[in-house]
Amino acid sequence: MHGAQDRIGRSMAGEGRIELVGLYKRFGDGTVAVNDVSLLIEDGTYCCLLGPSGCGKTTILRMIAGHEMPTVGEIIIGGESVVGKSTRKRGTAMMFQNYALFPHLTVRDNVAFSLRVRGVGKAERYREADRVIEQVQLEALAARLPSQLSGGQQQRVALARAIIMKPRVLLLDEPLSALDEFLRLQMRSELREMQKRLGITFVHVTHTQLEAVAVADQVVVMEKGRIAQKATAHDIYIAPKNSYVARFMGGQNVLRGRLDALSAGFGTVRSAAGQRFRLALDGNSRTLGQDVLFAVRRDRVSLVRANSETQIPDNAVFGTVHEIEFQGTYVKVVVDLAATGNTIEPFVAYVEESAYFSDPIALGEEVIAAWQMAEARLLADFDGAANEA
Amino acid sequence: MRWPQLTPYILIAPLVLVLLLFVAGPLCAVVAVSFFRYDNFAIIPAFSLDNYLHLATTHLTYSLYLSMIYFSFLTWVFTFLIGFTIAYFLVFHVRNPLIGIGLFLVCTVPFWTSNVIRMISWLPLLGQQGIINRGLMSIGVIDHPFKFLLFSDFSVVVSYVHLFTIFMIVPIFNSMSRIDRALFEASVDAGSSRWQTVFLVVLPLCKSGIVLGSIFVITLVMGDFYVVKVMSGGARASIVSAMADDISTLLFPQAAANAVILMIIVVMMVTLILRIVDVRKELVAQR
Amino acid sequence: MQTRSDSRPWTFYALATFFALYVLFLYGPMICIFVLSFQGPQGALSFPMRGLSLHWFEDLISQTDTGDIHGAISRSIPLAIIVMAITVVVSVASGLAFRERFRGSGVIFYAALVSLVAPGYVLGIGIGLMFQLLGLQTDWYTSALGAQLTWTLPFGLLIMFAIFGRFNRAYEEAGRDLGADAGQVLRLVVIPIVLPGMIAVALFGFTLSYDEFARTLQTTGSTNTLPIEIWSMTTNVTSPVIYALGTVTTAFSFAVIIVSLSAIALIQRRRFGHARAGAGH
Repeated sequence: MHGAQDRIGRSMAGEGRIELVGLYKRFGDGTVAVNDVSLLIEDGTYCCLLGPSGCGKTTILRMIAGHEMPTVGEIIIGGESVVGKSTRKRGTAMMFQNYALFPHLTVRDNVAFSLRVRGVGKAERYREADRVIEQVQLEALAARLPSQLSGGQQQRVALARAIIMKPRVLLLDEPLSALDEFLRLQMRSELREMQKRLGITFVHVTHTQLEAVAVADQVVVMEKGRIAQKATAHDIYIAPKNSYVARFMGGQNVLRGRLDALSAGFGTVRSAAGQRFRLALDGNSRTLGQDVLFAVRRDRVSLVRANSETQIPDNAVFGTVHEIEFQGTYVKVVVDLAATGNTIEPFVAYVEESAYFSDPIALGEEVIAAWQMAEARLLADFDGAANEA
Repeated sequence: MRWPQLTPYILIAPLVLVLLLFVAGPLCAVVAVSFFRYDNFAIIPAFSLDNYLHLATTHLTYSLYLSMIYFSFLTWVFTFLIGFTIAYFLVFHVRNPLIGIGLFLVCTVPFWTSNVIRMISWLPLLGQQGIINRGLMSIGVIDHPFKFLLFSDFSVVVSYVHLFTIFMIVPIFNSMSRIDRALFEASVDAGSSRWQTVFLVVLPLCKSGIVLGSIFVITLVMGDFYVVKVMSGGARASIVSAMADDISTLLFPQAAANAVILMIIVVMMVTLILRIVDVRKELVAQR
Repeated sequence: MQTRSDSRPWTFYALATFFALYVLFLYGPMICIFVLSFQGPQGALSFPMRGLSLHWFEDLISQTDTGDIHGAISRSIPLAIIVMAITVVVSVASGLAFRERFRGSGVIFYAALVSLVAPGYVLGIGIGLMFQLLGLQTDWYTSALGAQLTWTLPFGLLIMFAIFGRFNRAYEEAGRDLGADAGQVLRLVVIPIVLPGMIAVALFGFTLSYDEFARTLQTTGSTNTLPIEIWSMTTNVTSPVIYALGTVTTAFSFAVIIVSLSAIALIQRRRFGHARAGAGH
């Protein structure tokens, strides 16, 4: 591994530390792509900007790169403000979606491009390029043209091209979208490895939840130009703060009810259909009679058969099995909450595979889905369509 | 490239210069001279409508314009039918894209050679001693050579079609190749016959190509100066050859007036056609 | 089991025949005069072939009765080269300009279209008149040059529009990201990528100028270009030497075309033709 050598020239700690302060971007046609975003990305960490298309994540990336100017706000990299500075002076490098490899140049020429525009002589820049090409294990293909490479190989060239200048920040614009599923998983771990080896800050934009969670130290979930939550991958997935993140990440059910009773940090929530739920308030202050939203982990739900006469306990819902999907290690069971007749969101349980197949529940059967109080988590927001249980 | 605000203007300047000097300027000169008078030796700057009046009252003017419109229409019909069919074949029936491009180039190559030569190369073919007549006589189809093959309206239209079909093929080929194959298949799936698919799916989607091609063909025929004269054996003249005659006798103002009228009529024909499709959007892809 | 996947409908054969007939129609006449130009001294303007020799080609070179062919060629070729060069530069520049919206872009676009559809002869007259009114002499390297540009530039423009329309600006952004300034991006990224298009524009520029007739007629001044020379020959020459000239000049055009198309094909193959080889992660 060439780890030590890669850090030559980067003696100062914190050089790749990125601070976004009050970023705001409005485009010429009036759309506000980024709305008051503040974010701290520590040096040498892997940060993922995650969200659906149009949420502003790519715009933020491009502002950090210098390809867009913020309308308002500061961008500070390694302690210096970089707004208005050229890419060269920022110390950033970008890996483009679909790679944008120059089709008329060989791999070696592509990688050496940034040295060429700086006036470095041919022998020297080829030497440097070959060194980096070796790092990404493409020595055999150095004389090929991009059209002669596979998707994964092209990505490695794009990576080599970006890191040859020893940037302090590498920006990746949906780097894995152009690959098929199998390659995607493979390249994902290569990216993570590369980041650890180089020790620089990576900012990676994606719309794939599991990808973000797999590679990132810090995940920033975005919605319509704002940050919905920024936390470690674990917290984002297991402990989402609001219903948007809870729904977007996919591991939670979101339920709604009215706060009926409060006592010693715990609350009792009653749904419109009369179901009762108890959950910890975790220090959040709520008032009686308030509408609350809470999330329940899908993989911590147990299903038992029932009928309309069965007594529904606390911390449970009743409904009809609507859909069953095998997912390998677990079975996804979608329950239609028929109780109130106006379901907006079905309730989903991830049942462990062997548990399911020991006594499979069929489509159309009525079930009670129940959980432990500890698996329910209060959410910070009050609105949003949720289950009327 | 991030250009400073000024740069598109700098980049477009050479084109603007050429257009001003060699299109706008000359057209203004033509318009101006069309109002001039002339005597036996020189043209006299004036503002007179004499030339227009003269043109409007001469039978020759109307007969020339009508015959050119007649030729334009005939040429348009044939170039469209042939052009559309050829484009259709190249786009939908040729499977290997390389061969498709190759065949397309085969059609285009003559365009890059001299029109004058292409025109006169019909002479040994169509004449009474020409190869077609000889061939037909030798296999006994006819006893006497066809006279109409050369120096007739027929030969004029044949020559026009020979020269200008490529102007139909290229835009139609361009539009057609952009048609999503899936639309084609959806139509067949829905049970349409071949003809229905052509009329209901392909034809409407090629509109811009057809319009562009039509503009080319019609303006080229209307503005033609030598094909009519040569291929009709001097029996017919074109509007522009009448202009050339005027100029050879130094009657510039009259020729200029004729030119102005021709331009107006051509512009009218083109605007009429352009009402059907916004050509600019088709040609220039902008962000 | 019979595989029918490669069978073709009857319409394919019908259309293919139509295509073949069209190609025959297109090339037939040229082949005729090509053949006729090889007649012997007894040759006439029409069939049947009388003799077989290079007589008329010799006649062409020695120029006994054919006018100033050599002079015309000595003007046509340099003129075509100059027109080609100017057309390429101006078309690329204008194509780059048109990527942005700028004030007057609509007017200029339509003006270019007017330049294309206006009868060539009328523009020729106009230029001649304009020069006359300004007291300038019309000449092949001034007024004829300008007149031919009004024909070649719109074609060049249309081609560059098509090319830049498909051009992925991510390449430019990548170039900038890697530290290139605007000039370097143009020189090292944009131009190499649009090079095939530029060659196509050059081909159009050269051939359209070399064969241009109507616009040049009024603007060439006292000396002729080749097409005008050919034209005057049609009116006063009655021997197959004109066919010989036709054959020679068409052969020359073919050579130019083949060279350009080969260059384009070579570049495209080098850049995109090897997609199958070496693939695999």
